[in-house]
Amino acid sequence: MIQGYSRRAIVLVLFFLAAIAQAEELRGRVRLMARGGKGPAKGSDVRQAVVYFEPAAAAAVRPAGEPFEMVTRRKEFAPRVLTVPRGSRVRFPNQDPILHNVFSVSPENEFDLGIYKQGPGKEKRFDREGVVRVYCNVHHDMFANILVLDTPHFTAPDAEGGFVLGGLPRGKGRLTVWHDQAEPWTAEVELPREGAMTIPVEVVRPTIPPHLNKSGKSYFRSQRDRYNNR
Amino acid sequence: MVQGKNREVWTALLLLCFCCLASPVGIRAEEREVDPAKQEEEPSGLVPRLEFGLETRANFRHSELNRFPVPFPFTPAQLAPGQTRGFEETVNEGSHFEVSVVTLLVNAIWGDGLTAHAKIDAVDLYDRNPTSGDKKLDVDEAWIRFGVEALPAELPERGGVYLKIGKFPKFERQDDRHLESYGLVSTAFNRFEDAGAELGVSLGRHLYAKVSATAGNPVFIRDPNALAGDNGTDVFLRPFPNPDPALKSGIVILYDAEVEDIDVDGDLELGGGLGARFADESGRNGLDVLIWGYKRTLAETVELEGTFYGGDLDLLNGPGNAFSLPIEGDEKREFGANLWLYLGGFSFFGQYVDQELAGLPRKGFEGEVAWRFELPLAWAVGERQLFSYVAPSVRYSKLDNDFRNPAQTPSPSLNWDWEKLDYGLRLGVFSGVDLTLEYAINDFILGSGAHRENNEYLSTLRWKL
Repeated sequence: MIQGYSRRAIVLVLFFLAAIAQAEELRGRVRLMARGGKGPAKGSDVRQAVVYFEPAAAAAVRPAGEPFEMVTRRKEFAPRVLTVPRGSRVRFPNQDPILHNVFSVSPENEFDLGIYKQGPGKEKRFDREGVVRVYCNVHHDMFANILVLDTPHFTAPDAEGGFVLGGLPRGKGRLTVWHDQAEPWTAEVELPREGAMTIPVEVVRPTIPPHLNKSGKSYFRSQRDRYNNR
Repeated sequence: MVQGKNREVWTALLLLCFCCLASPVGIRAEEREVDPAKQEEEPSGLVPRLEFGLETRANFRHSELNRFPVPFPFTPAQLAPGQTRGFEETVNEGSHFEVSVVTLLVNAIWGDGLTAHAKIDAVDLYDRNPTSGDKKLDVDEAWIRFGVEALPAELPERGGVYLKIGKFPKFERQDDRHLESYGLVSTAFNRFEDAGAELGVSLGRHLYAKVSATAGNPVFIRDPNALAGDNGTDVFLRPFPNPDPALKSGIVILYDAEVEDIDVDGDLELGGGLGARFADESGRNGLDVLIWGYKRTLAETVELEGTFYGGDLDLLNGPGNAFSLPIEGDEKREFGANLWLYLGGFSFFGQYVDQELAGLPRKGFEGEVAWRFELPLAWAVGERQLFSYVAPSVRYSKLDNDFRNPAQTPSPSLNWDWEKLDYGLRLGVFSGVDLTLEYAINDFILGSGAHRENNEYLSTLRWKL
């Protein structure tokens, strides 16, 4: 009897190990390069990149049950980049003792939470895949990105740019490295794949992109009111 | 007279109290807590959107005492008590706390195409035109505009035309000021509003032209520091001898004073400008270059509130028309160029002016750099940040007067070559409240070739609702 149970257990463990062996991983390093590829980019944070894999045979994406959080704190968004599966909700708590007005005009994911004070904040559900540029209508320099993805396979590089994407299915797919200051880098890859990848990404945009307020007007107009500034 | 003064002071204090009481609910336009669905509601039909603003400035000023003897044959009765000769001297020397202005702003907006604007100043201590005897309640601006007028160094959405009619600032005036004081060029040439019409044309988004026909600002004299000075005030007309005006004469330059009325009978001043502007869509970075010019015929005299001296040729001809500057003809013309540059928080404004005033040539240059730094959030009151930004500024200005004084003149400073350095710091204290601390160094070359100074410290607490 005991022998029978042991045999079954061994078979289950072997089956489990075989299943793990089937899950592939991608390793690599993202290197942020200055414009023109001339040396490393200064002042840009590689940890703000997102590396994600989209299998050719699309995997079902299940939105998270609980909302993600993007906090306004010391006139900054934290985290600066948030990756969420499509259909997920994001809450925007205000931890500052001042008013904020979080909004986005990114197509198909636009929203405007209005002005709100310190507290749990408001939620927004993101049903469309894409990059959501998030701003505050009161403070020009507050800026963040929400990456809404149709794949569960994503990660962020470490401070050295290194990344490991584990639990990937075998077969073909597309690997993308996204960074707000760069054009997305993409490549078709087939798993399993040997060796670590080195992915140079050229920084071509400023840390805070030029943008208007939610009304499509310049933030700086009120500072330069021609008829109220003698 | 005393009663009148008291009434004005009480009016100003009442407005100030109202300002203080209302402040907890006063917030900047971009922070207004309104329903987002409603806040972009455009006015419809004949009902305009009304906007009101109130602004108060309280100052601490310390003006160094300087006095310069003047080569003019004053009679003993015309001199101040105890003096044996006349002086040009600091307007109101020493340390003073004062409320310099209380301003009411009203806008009526009928969509993008039609705007009416009024700005009414009470007290107006530093912009009295030209003496302490001027009226203390002044309609500083009142105009109606058809069409859309773009800010300097900001791209309009498309080309277009606007027409502005009424009393308004001259189009070449620095629109984005970082200090309370003025440079020599902005004081001398375009500090004050003019009355008439201005037509602006945007040829696409980058090129533009402006033309204007206005009454023309009368030529008068004032000190380039905060207070203009008392010249030709009532105190000199009183029957008893030895007048002693409270504010003194100031060390004066020629300047374009504010228009007193819309003079449609006389010659209009005609102006024009051509400009090019480049900017990014956010309005954070921009460049604007404008060349401009004005021309008009000087009047024989212009009556100004608060002084019995006449403006224009009357002033240039000197007291009793007997101590004239070496004028020729009656034409006033000036050409100039402006440059605005914005790069993030950095800004530069530069202006060059070449003027001929009834044959008296003079030219000036002024350049101001400022840098606005947003401060991290450290303290907050009433859900708004305390100390939100700091903006240091430096302005250099220079005025070269290429004409000679008459041998005897009560205002020898009129032809002194002059340099002014203003430096200061503006601190965003709270929403709608800022504090500006600044120091002005006036360096001028006397007729003898010696350099002298007349310096001033000024701090300004400005409160906008």
